[in-house]
Amino acid sequence: MKLKKSLISLVSGLIVLAGCGDETTDSAEEYPTENIDLLVGAGPGGGTDNFARATEDQLSDKLETNIVIENLEQASGAVANEETANSAPDGHTINYVSSTFIVSNAAGQNDTGLDELTPVARMQSDILSLVVNPDEFDNFEEFREYAEANEVNVGGTHAVSPDEMGFLELQNESDIDNMNYVPYDDTGEVQAAVMGGNLDAYVGVISAVEEYMESGDLEPVLVFSEERLDEMSDIPATVEDYGWDITNGNERGVLVHADTPPEILDELENVLNEIFESDEYKEYEEQNSLHYRDGWMSSEEYEQKLEEDYEMYQELLENQ
Amino acid sequence: MLDNLLGGLMTAIEPSHFIILLLAVVIGFLGGALPGLSGVMLVVVLLPVTYGMETTSAFMLLTAIYGATVFSGMITSILYRAPGTPESVTTVYDGYPMTQRGEAGKALGVGILSSTIGGIVGTIFLIALTPTLASIALQFAAPEYFALAVLGLTVVASLSSGKLIMGFIGVLFGLFLATIGTDTITGTQRFTFGSSEIAGGIEHVPVIIGLFAISEVLNRATETQNLKGNVEKFKIKIFDSTVFKKIRGTLARSSLIGVGIGSLPGVGPTTAAILSYSETVRWSKNPQKFGKGAPEGITAPESANNAGAMGALVPLFALGIPGSATTAVMLGAFVMHGLQPGPNLMTTDGDIVYAVFAGLLIVNLLVLIFSKPFIIMFSKLLNIPYSIIGPLIVIFCMIGTFALRNSMFDVFLMMGFGVLGFFLEKLRFPLITIVLGIVLGPLAESEFRRSLELSGGDLSIFVSRPISATLLTISVIMVTLAIIKPIIDKKRKTHTN
Repeated sequence: MKLKKSLISLVSGLIVLAGCGDETTDSAEEYPTENIDLLVGAGPGGGTDNFARATEDQLSDKLETNIVIENLEQASGAVANEETANSAPDGHTINYVSSTFIVSNAAGQNDTGLDELTPVARMQSDILSLVVNPDEFDNFEEFREYAEANEVNVGGTHAVSPDEMGFLELQNESDIDNMNYVPYDDTGEVQAAVMGGNLDAYVGVISAVEEYMESGDLEPVLVFSEERLDEMSDIPATVEDYGWDITNGNERGVLVHADTPPEILDELENVLNEIFESDEYKEYEEQNSLHYRDGWMSSEEYEQKLEEDYEMYQELLENQ
Repeated sequence: MLDNLLGGLMTAIEPSHFIILLLAVVIGFLGGALPGLSGVMLVVVLLPVTYGMETTSAFMLLTAIYGATVFSGMITSILYRAPGTPESVTTVYDGYPMTQRGEAGKALGVGILSSTIGGIVGTIFLIALTPTLASIALQFAAPEYFALAVLGLTVVASLSSGKLIMGFIGVLFGLFLATIGTDTITGTQRFTFGSSEIAGGIEHVPVIIGLFAISEVLNRATETQNLKGNVEKFKIKIFDSTVFKKIRGTLARSSLIGVGIGSLPGVGPTTAAILSYSETVRWSKNPQKFGKGAPEGITAPESANNAGAMGALVPLFALGIPGSATTAVMLGAFVMHGLQPGPNLMTTDGDIVYAVFAGLLIVNLLVLIFSKPFIIMFSKLLNIPYSIIGPLIVIFCMIGTFALRNSMFDVFLMMGFGVLGFFLEKLRFPLITIVLGIVLGPLAESEFRRSLELSGGDLSIFVSRPISATLLTISVIMVTLAIIKPIIDKKRKTHTN
């Protein structure tokens, strides 16, 4: 009986001690003290999810802790953003996002904005492009001529998405008025619609088209970037060839709670940078055609970029 | 193609690969049979494990698990009214009444036979016709998808088992649930009350698990006498020639519907199962027997979901476009393994693809061999008092629903629909009509509006395209018949009187 009592007090003492230990680990030297929850605001299998899973192992090795990936795809990731903002500001909850985050925030669909979340780093800048069925159009000029005379349907993945923003930018800059945006539920569906001849073109990331270029089913005819890409030098670029200021792509990066201590933010940023520079990551980038444009942006640069994007997308959405 | 397949078979029966297939069947079987675990979850969980494996083995493992889970989902559907996987939801409707009648063994036998035949038909189509099916699938655009959903919805009259008004209330309620959340065409939020959880929409899985599994647990809990557990012994007879005669027509039609619907990008085996069930009821000579334990009511969804699961691989292998939730995860796995899923996959990595195809054929046979001992093991569960099994079902349903989107909101939703289902059941409400509405609602609505976007608001797009015009004409005829038939019957009755 006595033994049992003393055992109970010993155990409860240990619990109290363990509890104390937790409270004093705010500093970066001890970070991380527990598993890290990696929230992905998209379903398993997509671009953002692949990004999370491609960095998971290295993140776990470098931070010497377990990484627990949780997919929260509801409401374009709004639930993941909200959960990050409601977590403890100690760097143990990190949120992998795509440009959908800032687009949905600018559209007023996602209330968790940059006042509640701080960017750690941007790692990918997937280039958007206008993609057509090569049986229908040989190049952008043909598409443009056709679009000036006829109503054309241009698809994209989701409404109020990076794809739709790219479409709106193209519409504004190119002055082709006859284009109508048709949202689809996923990239595969929009590609199938163009391949089947049921849609004239779509706006989407270049990383998802490469395989279809080789087979001749789909062809990007315009890339949304400053310059032509070395790997596809015959395809015109918005800025270089037309002087249209459309360069935004689908950018993927990492966010944390806005009150995260600067030391922890720095440490996370450094770790992500190491991963970004690693051979393993470069290999993944190349395999997935994410290497056409430098993806890296530091915490500050990314924050500034997101702020600018917010303004721009809000304006685009208001004027549409 | 045949030598490719033979090469694939040789690869598949290499000891290391064969062991993986065996393992996959066991894992898939157990996972599918537990109401909490679905094929998607198993594939996601095993994804990191496959990174360390050689590519062929990895994809054999993933596709084989996928095939086996769709198969075993029916076990708890039939025994406990708790669908083991979303794909086997419709099986509940006729499977469970058979168990209540003491025919669990017969029901499982029909399920096994239908699933295996569906799975094999699906695999054969996959092997022989992948490019053809994929090019047919590309002909399906928004108007065709809409017409397909409408055709499915018109079956509501036959599914209402005589209670037409309740049936319409059910299907409209289901359609209403489907409108909640973010509108896919404009991005507007509907009925969300500012909550981002609700903005994510109402998924059909929590609703269905609540309406069927949880409500039944509540129902059994209120019956004090019946908690002891079922001690009667049952025998599973997989091939019964009298039953087979009854179901063979359904089997053939449902397998074909399954492959066809499954191979449409973004539709998947769950919808294939419910559409094939509704077509079976529609074409049956006595539709009133469905929902009360008709063997055809098990055959239709079970052959269609297994065929549909294989069908969902068609656009994945042929075009790099996933046909269902699980295949979307597999697409991610392809990318992680450095394969380029797309139109060239069959030519560039043909050896892997054919090894996977051969693996799937073997898996369907393994499933047939394993099913009996496995199900006998599971049937022992029926001897356990329901006071133990009931709470376990609730726990597994909670885990499964939570894991779907890592959402507690979904769990509460499931509980709420459990209570609703309990009371609706007391009114003998045709619950399946709600399922019909919530599964087909999103397809019908978003494809209708997408069609109008494509046509610039012109409704003629639905009748100017041959496939959609045909499907819609059939729908109109069906509805007219359903309305006219009772009137004619009534007249005839008064005449004879």
